[in-house]
Amino acid sequence: MDVSQYLNVFMDECQEHLQSLNQSLLALEQNPDNPEIINSIFRAAHTLKGASATMGFNKMSNVTHAMEDVLTLLRQNELKVNAEIINTLFEALDLLEVLAQGIREGREEDIEIAGVLQNLQKFTTQEPVSKPDQAAERRRTLQLRYLPAEIEQIKQAVGEGFNLNQLHVYLQEECLLKGARAFMILRELEAHGEIVRTIPTAKELEDERFETDFIIGILSKKPLDFLVRFLEKMLDVDKVEGKVLSVDEVLVERRGGGAAKATASDSGAQKGGAAAKILSNVSPTVRVDIRKLDDLMNLVGELVITRSRLEQLSSEHEDQTLEETVQQLTRLTIDLRDQVLKTRMVPVDNVFSRFPRLVRDLARETGKEVQLQISGAETELDRTVIDEIVDPLVHIVRNSVDHGIEPPEVRTAAGKSLPGIVELKAYQAGNNVVIEVIDDGAGVNLEKVKARALERGIVSFEELEMMDDENVMNLIFLPGFSTSDQVTDISGRGVGMDVVKTQITNLGGVVEMSSEQGKGTRITIRLPLTLAIIQTLIVQLGDEVFAIPSTLIDQTISVVQKDIKMLRNREVTLYRDELIPLIRLQDYLGVTGAKNTSLEELDVVVVTTGERRVGFVVDTLLRQQDVVIKSLGSYLGNIPGIAGATILGNGKIALILDLRSVA
Amino acid sequence: MKEKQSKERQEETTQLIIFKLGEEEFGVDILQVREIEKLEQGITRVPKAPPFVEGVINLRGDIIPIVDLRARFGLTLPELGVDSRVIIVEVGGSLVGMLVDAVVEVLRIPVSAIEPPPPITKGVDSYYLAGVAKLQDRLIVLLNLEHTLSPEEEKQLGELNEMSELSEAEPEPELEPEPEPEVE
Repeated sequence: MDVSQYLNVFMDECQEHLQSLNQSLLALEQNPDNPEIINSIFRAAHTLKGASATMGFNKMSNVTHAMEDVLTLLRQNELKVNAEIINTLFEALDLLEVLAQGIREGREEDIEIAGVLQNLQKFTTQEPVSKPDQAAERRRTLQLRYLPAEIEQIKQAVGEGFNLNQLHVYLQEECLLKGARAFMILRELEAHGEIVRTIPTAKELEDERFETDFIIGILSKKPLDFLVRFLEKMLDVDKVEGKVLSVDEVLVERRGGGAAKATASDSGAQKGGAAAKILSNVSPTVRVDIRKLDDLMNLVGELVITRSRLEQLSSEHEDQTLEETVQQLTRLTIDLRDQVLKTRMVPVDNVFSRFPRLVRDLARETGKEVQLQISGAETELDRTVIDEIVDPLVHIVRNSVDHGIEPPEVRTAAGKSLPGIVELKAYQAGNNVVIEVIDDGAGVNLEKVKARALERGIVSFEELEMMDDENVMNLIFLPGFSTSDQVTDISGRGVGMDVVKTQITNLGGVVEMSSEQGKGTRITIRLPLTLAIIQTLIVQLGDEVFAIPSTLIDQTISVVQKDIKMLRNREVTLYRDELIPLIRLQDYLGVTGAKNTSLEELDVVVVTTGERRVGFVVDTLLRQQDVVIKSLGSYLGNIPGIAGATILGNGKIALILDLRSVA
Repeated sequence: MKEKQSKERQEETTQLIIFKLGEEEFGVDILQVREIEKLEQGITRVPKAPPFVEGVINLRGDIIPIVDLRARFGLTLPELGVDSRVIIVEVGGSLVGMLVDAVVEVLRIPVSAIEPPPPITKGVDSYYLAGVAKLQDRLIVLLNLEHTLSPEEEKQLGELNEMSELSEAEPEPELEPEPEPEVE
């Protein structure tokens, strides 16, 4: 079978299951006795096994199979969760991730799995799985639940004199062709009433995806005894348990409250599982290729542009009906744009969920006691941003544990509580999403930062003298501040923070850091909700119009000619008690006919690049505008200082300036 | 009948779009031409772009770079007039517009009329040419669009060293990352 077309779907699902495995394993470590967690791990492993076997990825299916065996023993209480088992399961999970990567790169075959398999099998070889027990277990746990629509149907039918019968059918163990048999039973039974629902579903029964028993919910006017006897007479049927349910019982079950049917206490979790399964079958979501969403976003971008053009035309016509229609179109377009943006949003949980494991492993490696607190994982970000934010965040969290949180003895000596806390926080603030990493560790030692910056020749002694604490802190973000070989030298932090900063800035985001020595450090990342549409300031220079991304802009100021001084042949001015260079934008862009040379009062856009601020002199600040970024295309490639282009309401193109490279 | 068909096959033809740069006539294969546009909205200049790139235009929502063929061939610069047109062609997967002084006609010529170009024709280096079509009273210079429009070839010619940045790299709509130092 050619499975390549399903590979993407498989990889997506695989990623989801690995993530849920990771979460559940971490949870299991905290609550080793919770059967629900064991079940969810089992389900994830089981699904992965099936999927990978179908796709022909034997190594992955072998590993998941071995995991499943261990988990089966755990489920049946024949094995107790302990640290060794958890570590082995983590080991297996890591291997699965390697395998997933291998599959993506087409080299699954080269990956060694024997060691992990052996470790897993250690647990299972001790005691053979007893089959009848397993069947009995399942028997106890099948539970029939109804969908709201079905409950309505039941209510109505009961009102008309029907009874809702719940029939639990057990086939003989040695029954061959169970699927066909179940199908026959359902068909015969239909003569006596209306089957509302079966567990497993009729399709699953037909496909033989069940053990030996199943439950039928049937609306019938025939007495229960008759139905039970009718079924028991059929071939291969071992026994039938039946009862009549009242509407109230159905409702209670639906709520997941007291089970109408007596079940063993330890199967509670599985009921939950079964319910989740049913619910997921009707989950109202659709999986869509991200490229389709990109295309959609592009089209909406076009629409936004065309709309502004129409708006401009209509304002020239002074026709009220036309204006009203355009206004309506404007509202619709904005709604549509917002909706499309929403479809691209995914919760940051996709990223956050990997951190409990990371922090756990790091804490172990460094011998520290660290607790990770996550909040706001449901906050949503554009899919593209999510993909790009992983690396910088890993960097930051790693630093927090590695350099921020002190070893237990140091914390105790300092009178600080154990474990150390690392907080990972996300929330939306206006058009931004803010992600914060806060630790209650040692904080940044500014003196050491200064010493390091001097030593590395990043700043001169004189420059340092003039810096306030904030500026000193920002030195950490400079390239060359720290390299890997110096990591251990400095007790503060700063491992590749310049890279972090670059990555965040490339996303149109901002990263800030604040710290109090001895109390801890807070790193704040502000990200745009989406990359496709950015807020810009439109400026005019001569006859040309440019867009400057708002994220780069510190402030726009007005400078009178007499406040401009010359320093080493460059124009400078005082801005927030700091001398900043002024660059006439026309000089950089080669614009002819700029008017700002003859103006008495200059409009200046102050752009921040890290610790540096530069003022760009333009002719006129036109307006703030959300624009759709368009690439200049591969033909022009990357032109320094130009991030792309956008089409304005009048159909004209405005270039989007990336002034960081100029400043 | 049969003879006639075979004769037609011998007389294989090709269709050209004929345009003018100054008074000279040039031709491009019609199969490479996407469309011909008037310059209604004007060209947006792109600072720091290669000198022969006049700027970009908005073609129904797409940003299309415009190459000035005169600057490309080192001819005297044209002035935009009422007859000025942009011929949009597809080269190497990108759409590129060629700024020309006028589009004259679509012409069907026999392939046999095309000869390899002499080293320099009408002041244009033969590197940019695919051939020369000699008709009764006209001489039409056929462009090699790959050579004429590809920034890659420019690099090869070593004319514009600062263009070494222009590679096959995918277009990056986002802000470009600055070079990253080797740090962990």
